[in-house]
Amino acid sequence: MTYEKEMSEKISRGESTEDKLEIPLLKYLWNSSPLSFGKKDGLHSFFKNITVLKSFTDNEVRIFTKFLHRREFQNQEVIFNEGDSGYGFYFIFSGSVNIFINHESQSAPGEFVLKLEKSQYFGEMGLLEEFNRRTATAVASENTVLLGLFKPDLEMMLEQYPVMGAKFLRETALIMAERMGQLTKEIKVLRKKISRLESKL
Amino acid sequence: MNRNQKIKLYLFIVILIMGILFPVFFPRLSIPFGFAYIVYLMSKPMAVRLTSGSKKQRLTYTMVTLTGTLLLLFPLIVTFYNVDTNFESFLLDLNRTQIILDEKFHAIQSNILTKFGIRLNIDPAKMLMSKLETHGLSLINKFPEYLSVLFEWMLLVPLFLYFFFIESHKLKIRFLEIIPNPIFEKTYVLFSQFNTKFGEYIIAKFIEATLLGLIVTLGLLLIGFPYPFILGLFAGITNILPYIGPFLGAIPGLLIALLSNDPNVSLVGILVIFTIANLVDMILVFPLLVSKIVNLHPLLVVVSIMIGSQIAGVLGMVVIIPFIAFFKLLFKEIYKDLSVHL
Repeated sequence: MTYEKEMSEKISRGESTEDKLEIPLLKYLWNSSPLSFGKKDGLHSFFKNITVLKSFTDNEVRIFTKFLHRREFQNQEVIFNEGDSGYGFYFIFSGSVNIFINHESQSAPGEFVLKLEKSQYFGEMGLLEEFNRRTATAVASENTVLLGLFKPDLEMMLEQYPVMGAKFLRETALIMAERMGQLTKEIKVLRKKISRLESKL
Repeated sequence: MNRNQKIKLYLFIVILIMGILFPVFFPRLSIPFGFAYIVYLMSKPMAVRLTSGSKKQRLTYTMVTLTGTLLLLFPLIVTFYNVDTNFESFLLDLNRTQIILDEKFHAIQSNILTKFGIRLNIDPAKMLMSKLETHGLSLINKFPEYLSVLFEWMLLVPLFLYFFFIESHKLKIRFLEIIPNPIFEKTYVLFSQFNTKFGEYIIAKFIEATLLGLIVTLGLLLIGFPYPFILGLFAGITNILPYIGPFLGAIPGLLIALLSNDPNVSLVGILVIFTIANLVDMILVFPLLVSKIVNLHPLLVVVSIMIGSQIAGVLGMVVIIPFIAFFKLLFKEIYKDLSVHL
């Protein structure tokens, strides 16, 4: 639901709206307007394309961005290593990230798994698991800007904005469930292949 | 680590060192700053609950700051309002104590003389009074100075507290920006865990001290012991110090009981009250509130308190425990990482 809809519904129900003008909110709406001459690569337009935030209202996206940490990585800089403790997950704001397994150093990069581009995200298990170990190594494949959300931020969000925090957790859980489904399918295919090989032997 | 990350790391280390040295060079500013930070950590969970989902955060923070300030001011105003009467009553009691001390000492002196034939040539009452006179005079001379510092704190603590409520999130984000990428996640999580643990520990100790103080005050009121409120307050404050605190808290009451001729003042009574209060604390309050937050070996706690007292006196004795708990957590994390990577 957009902010405008939320407000018009409140007015139609006869509920009171905020008396005071919220300058940060107005500034945000001004920047996010399609007619605005402001930055087109701002946070609002970026988060519009992120599936994990699809159920968020404009105002919730604005609040959500307050909890994020902007981290800049240079080309070939390691974001995290396989086996590291994981405490959060990242959105790719600009640039791209390569994911490796069995990565040891720049000279021994290990096995390349996939390349993640702008607007994609990774490391969500670190946010949900209590004692998470990174299962792969993430390396910036060019100069990259990431927006990170970590365990303390999520805890703070759940305390300060419980509805928004619950929405975010629901969306993250749905993504995890989708990935689990894909993994189950892959395991089934692999089992079939193994059983075929076993029968041949 | 690239050049930018190295610069960030050096900057981070410099800021950390400056943060550690700040109390040494600017104690007048750092003490109210630290005190405001402790009050902020204590009141933050309540403030977050009050502002949860609400847009009126500033109003809530203002209300919390004002309430905290009034709560701090009230005991100070009451104390200063009664300072002259308290002082007069203290002088009267001091004279009475000197007479009783004299009587008791003479009895002991004559006992020793008859049994062992040795005459003791010391006068403990005179020694005690001369010491009290010297310290009392220096305290009275420094009273205006203490008062000005206190009023300065009364102004600065609420100001810093309000600043923490309003700006701490932005400040935290800015501070975290300078942490180099390779150590960012771990540093941030440890920093948050330390803040949470520290806040929880201070709240738990505050509740523990209040409960113990209440039990002692009520017990002393029941048996008609003199100074029940002051003794209860002292027992509560000293209880903040683990293991040593309960013994320190009982000393003034025991001294009054030993030096008094009043039939209402019973040594057994005060011993029973302090034993009950400390048993309730040991069996119920401490395991339920404090030990879950700070899981440290008793020996480590005692050693830490001694180190804390050497570094920063009574304040050091109180705040050293969560710091040690933090270092334990830090070493655990480093060990876990090393065991994975090696």
